[in-house]
Amino acid sequence: MLAAIVPLSPGVLLAAAVTASAASLWLLLPRGQSGRRERTARWLGAGLGVAALAAFIITGRRLGGLGEESVFLIVSLVAVVSAAATVVSRSPVYAAIWFALSLAGVAGVLLVLGAQFLGVATIVVYAGAILVMFLFVLMLAQPSGLAPYDRVSNEPLLAAVAGAVLLGLLSLSIGRLSAGDTAVAADVAPAVAVDALQADHVARLGGELFSRHLIAIEAAGVLLLIALIGSIAIVARGEESRVQERRAA
Amino acid sequence: MNALLPSPATIAALVKIGLLIGGLMTAAAYLVLVERWMAAWVQDRKGPNRVGIPLTKIRLFGLGQPLADGLKIILKEDFTPKHVDKVLYNAAPLLILATSLAIFAAIPFGSVLPPLGIPGLPDPVPFLVAPSLDVGVLWVFALSSITVYSVLLGGWASNNKYGFLGGLRSSAQLVAYEIPLGLGLLGVVLAAGSLRLDVIMSAQAQSGVWYVFAQPLGFIVFLVAAFAEAARLPFDLPEAEQELVGGYHTEYSGIKLLLFLVAEFLHMVTASFLIVIMFLGGWHFWGLTGAGDEVTWAGALIRFGVLSAKIFAVILFFMLVRWSWPRFRFDQLMNLAWKVMLPLGLANLVTVATIEEFRPQLVAALGAGPAKWLAIAAPWAVFFIGWIAAGLLTPSGTDNRPIRAHDPFDIEHELSGA
Repeated sequence: MLAAIVPLSPGVLLAAAVTASAASLWLLLPRGQSGRRERTARWLGAGLGVAALAAFIITGRRLGGLGEESVFLIVSLVAVVSAAATVVSRSPVYAAIWFALSLAGVAGVLLVLGAQFLGVATIVVYAGAILVMFLFVLMLAQPSGLAPYDRVSNEPLLAAVAGAVLLGLLSLSIGRLSAGDTAVAADVAPAVAVDALQADHVARLGGELFSRHLIAIEAAGVLLLIALIGSIAIVARGEESRVQERRAA
Repeated sequence: MNALLPSPATIAALVKIGLLIGGLMTAAAYLVLVERWMAAWVQDRKGPNRVGIPLTKIRLFGLGQPLADGLKIILKEDFTPKHVDKVLYNAAPLLILATSLAIFAAIPFGSVLPPLGIPGLPDPVPFLVAPSLDVGVLWVFALSSITVYSVLLGGWASNNKYGFLGGLRSSAQLVAYEIPLGLGLLGVVLAAGSLRLDVIMSAQAQSGVWYVFAQPLGFIVFLVAAFAEAARLPFDLPEAEQELVGGYHTEYSGIKLLLFLVAEFLHMVTASFLIVIMFLGGWHFWGLTGAGDEVTWAGALIRFGVLSAKIFAVILFFMLVRWSWPRFRFDQLMNLAWKVMLPLGLANLVTVATIEEFRPQLVAALGAGPAKWLAIAAPWAVFFIGWIAAGLLTPSGTDNRPIRAHDPFDIEHELSGA
């Protein structure tokens, strides 16, 4: 059926998709043009982006049922499109909002795939805590959001090509994995990982984390504690040195 | 079977969503009326009692008031100031209402229905929209942390100093009180051994000990944090119109303001649901509801009634507090979160974790009965110690000036004095 719609081999299609997405990103990134040229570039870039997305969707593998498939498509499109919008938007506040939307899309993908804890934790940690801090700083620092370094992107061509190449390599390797290369798949995804997605999901995940990965968990906890103490130390030191500086002056 | 036809489970979920949203919206409208009655009762006046059936002279104790209020605010001019950021200005109220409704996907509103025997529908049917969600508590926590966005964006998009500062103020409050809220949640999650709210309820029903008795300190911390998250008095700085010129919704009017206000009201309802489910035993009442998963139709109705009655009582408590307490000042509010509620929450969490860790040994050493009483007595001891410590560490004077330790001006002052 696929071959009937697009008379191309998957490899060619993937290469076309990567090229199109690189061109689209390059056209969309802010390059300090003005007026009509920028608007034309944006429309062109958006069109190419849609084409690239369609090509990626066609090369990808199908999931199970119709409902699952459509929900997955919607949330993953939200994630991808808003990730692109994060990079190309001119206003830092809008970039942060797009990033939040992208995280929501990623959380949706994780929920559809059954990794409930990871999905909800993404929202709690990234969207709920870290990004809110970003927004605070962005809003306080720059209410107008029109500094030169926001209007012009740094190395747009290299960035677009690098991003697209990464995208292509990832979809190539992951596509090979899911296409039934079982030897590789078994190596990468041990049975335990699949087991953690069954009923009592959180209990299984917790058991796994606190038995096989106990040292990693403890090390991460200690690292976070050190960061906390360090930030307090920096704040306290700053005040002290300020007093000393003034006293010396 | 036709693949396009929705499965019975999907239809059941849609029915539950419909019932829940309809019920919540109606309840929100009528709770506003209850709140106004409550205000009138506290202030010794009559309150709204005139609007009845339209075009007749029947008054019905003022039960038509929500309809009149709603029509008035919907038909009001929806004025958008010229200087706002249009997209975010319109998105903020939609986002806050959507998230505060989506929270209810993981909140049970009853126990279970008796088996219906519909093929394809797993029995018994739970009173819960997303029964297969294994991380219910975290879902609630995640969506309530999304709420911060609309507060922040509403204030920023208004492009108005009062609105912007109000947005920053409220979002700082919401972020700060999320931590004691989480600590209160964690104690209950540890004791019940599950992140599912329905399991937390049935754990309390089976032991017969509601968590308000087993974790008094956690209950206080959670209650205070829930008041702050719902922005109810004494934490209602977001809408302090008299002294702070409102908050993030200063520039909003008409139906967008209505969306913000409904969402705030829903936050109070959500907080009441959570307080009842996590600390007040949910649908359980001694000698009335039973504890198991086997119910008759009458039993299911009684459980639903008990849960609703408890939630209504907590909402009445919210409303009574509104007319009993003065508003906090912002630095007092922050001090309460970081210097009082955070340590108390940690103390509760450590106590609960210790008890749960050594519970098997306790049961083996003392027997089931004494171990149970010890597991209740120890948190109460911690509760009183925490209370006394908080009281002793609080300065006894009533110095109402904001405390500003070592800001640049003080350092300057100190240096010139020395």
